[in-house]
Amino acid sequence: MRTVMVLLPTSRIERTEREAIGAARALSREWSANVQVALIAPTAEGIEGLRGRTEASSDVSLWIAAHPQLEAYSPELYVSASEQLITRARPEVIVFPSRTIALEIAPRLAYRIGAALATDVIELRAEGEAVVITKPVYGGKAHAVLVAQRFPLVLCVRPRAFDPFEGELRAGTPHDLQIACDPSSVRTQLVQRIQEDAAAGVSLEEARVIVSGGRGLGGPEGFRLLEELARWLGGAVGASRAACDAGWVPASWQIGQTGKKVAPDLYIAVGISGASQHIVGISGAKCIVAINTDPKAPIFKVADLGIVGDYRAVIPALIAELKRTHAGSSGDRPGSSPEEGR
Amino acid sequence: MRIVVCLTQILDPEMPPSEFRLDPQRKAAAEGIGQLVVSIFDENALEVALQVREHILERKGAPSDPVEIVALTVGPPSAADVLRKALSLRADRAILISSEGWPPLEGAIVARLLAAAVRRLHPVDLVLCGRETGDWHGGQVGSFLAEELGWASVSFVSRIEVEGETFLMRRQSDEGWEIVRARRPAVATITNDETNVPRLPKVRDTMLAARASLPVWTIPELVEDPHTLWETSARVAVRELFIPSSSKVCELIEGETVQEKAVRLLEALRRRRML
Repeated sequence: MRTVMVLLPTSRIERTEREAIGAARALSREWSANVQVALIAPTAEGIEGLRGRTEASSDVSLWIAAHPQLEAYSPELYVSASEQLITRARPEVIVFPSRTIALEIAPRLAYRIGAALATDVIELRAEGEAVVITKPVYGGKAHAVLVAQRFPLVLCVRPRAFDPFEGELRAGTPHDLQIACDPSSVRTQLVQRIQEDAAAGVSLEEARVIVSGGRGLGGPEGFRLLEELARWLGGAVGASRAACDAGWVPASWQIGQTGKKVAPDLYIAVGISGASQHIVGISGAKCIVAINTDPKAPIFKVADLGIVGDYRAVIPALIAELKRTHAGSSGDRPGSSPEEGR
Repeated sequence: MRIVVCLTQILDPEMPPSEFRLDPQRKAAAEGIGQLVVSIFDENALEVALQVREHILERKGAPSDPVEIVALTVGPPSAADVLRKALSLRADRAILISSEGWPPLEGAIVARLLAAAVRRLHPVDLVLCGRETGDWHGGQVGSFLAEELGWASVSFVSRIEVEGETFLMRRQSDEGWEIVRARRPAVATITNDETNVPRLPKVRDTMLAARASLPVWTIPELVEDPHTLWETSARVAVRELFIPSSSKVCELIEGETVQEKAVRLLEALRRRRML
């Protein structure tokens, strides 16, 4: 029996992790493989997010490779722990979620075990013995279809490209996997961690609504308006690469090939021209609204709804209208208030 | 201190999508549809190297340990353009690792060749690569290279400071930023932020760079038995490339006043159950 292993270097299972499991399960069904989920964490206790939305018992077995030395993330120790897991379980395919930590571990692990690597995977299927992979290339202007016939194969799946696995995760036996950590192999050390709060308190990956700004805002002040609109819509604020490079907003707000890949229900692009590297990061959005002064901006080619106009007039009008309709109904603001949001 | 910056030549990612074409034979973008440029994050990597050199100069005045920046690229002779760009931004040296006449390269082979070049340039203290190329978005060469060299490695770095025998690297995380201390020698893959926006070259430097002679290193010079590179590699084959179809038609919201447009947009969103 073939094995597809999902490697999760985390103590907390969120949607992104569940999508990696979902991708592995979808492949395993076509490829008659079993799915193993392996967590790499400092301790096997207190893992968050094991309980699923559905009660259904699952075909997914969970292993936890825990070692106190893994408390602080260190690429050397995490790559080594991954390698030890692979050596023991001998999976044909190893699936990582697209977290920055995973994107650091995956290529180093692949090189170490002599595996092929494909990142930013958006589709996965079996074709006889082979695994067929689709990924965007040229900033999303094209898709490439890759065929893997030799294993092991390491994959990083793109966020929001696969349906998350909603079932419960139960620890297998043995509950813990013994792994060795060699502190003398460590060449890097975490000195400081700087948390940047997502605008309006909702993370971009989880947000149902995202209001996003680009170069067309003309400066950082424009983002205050977008934040107010986002609060009224219960959403988060994102930005294009141009706005982040200009220093108007933190780089952690960046959406696109070079930033976060998001899939909200509603994406409102304000003053964003729509470079393909930005579009590729929002391809999972259900509804895209473009607000731009330039009717020829490429963003209108991918938008469902558009307003040609100056955001300085359009956004306040939208906020005023939201205020008016809400005053008429409940009198309460939707979503979180600014105070709660921060 | 010697810093190596690895550069790749790619099709300009800013080219308009409407002009994008594929070459089914080569399984790549058609040739000649756009400019060839330095890959996006590689430009940021060069900028980080230039900043490291400036900081050291500022700190020491006349340094006893001068900083030398060496730009490397693996590719056909036309890839020399990215090296000239690096020289125009005042990289000290630039070397072309010529792949002319060899089969197409994949990440693991590029990493082996770069590692061989880094060893040849010994001693090297720091190697910088873009976090991924702007065409295939592989995100692998820098990490492969670190593994091949057996060096410390930090990914998604935007800023580097030298502190004694270590580097302090500002690394992007999912939640914000981290400062990571890495021992020398180290590899870093570079991402963009507001501190490493690529500078523009001076006209005079561009002219000098255009005339500079570029050393060329061949693959057999760097690796014994180069053919084995391809035998042990190529585990994933490219079957085809296609341009994803987009059938969207944008409904433009019209109105006499901006208020009217706002009302109609919200109505349209409610109809689509987006609010």
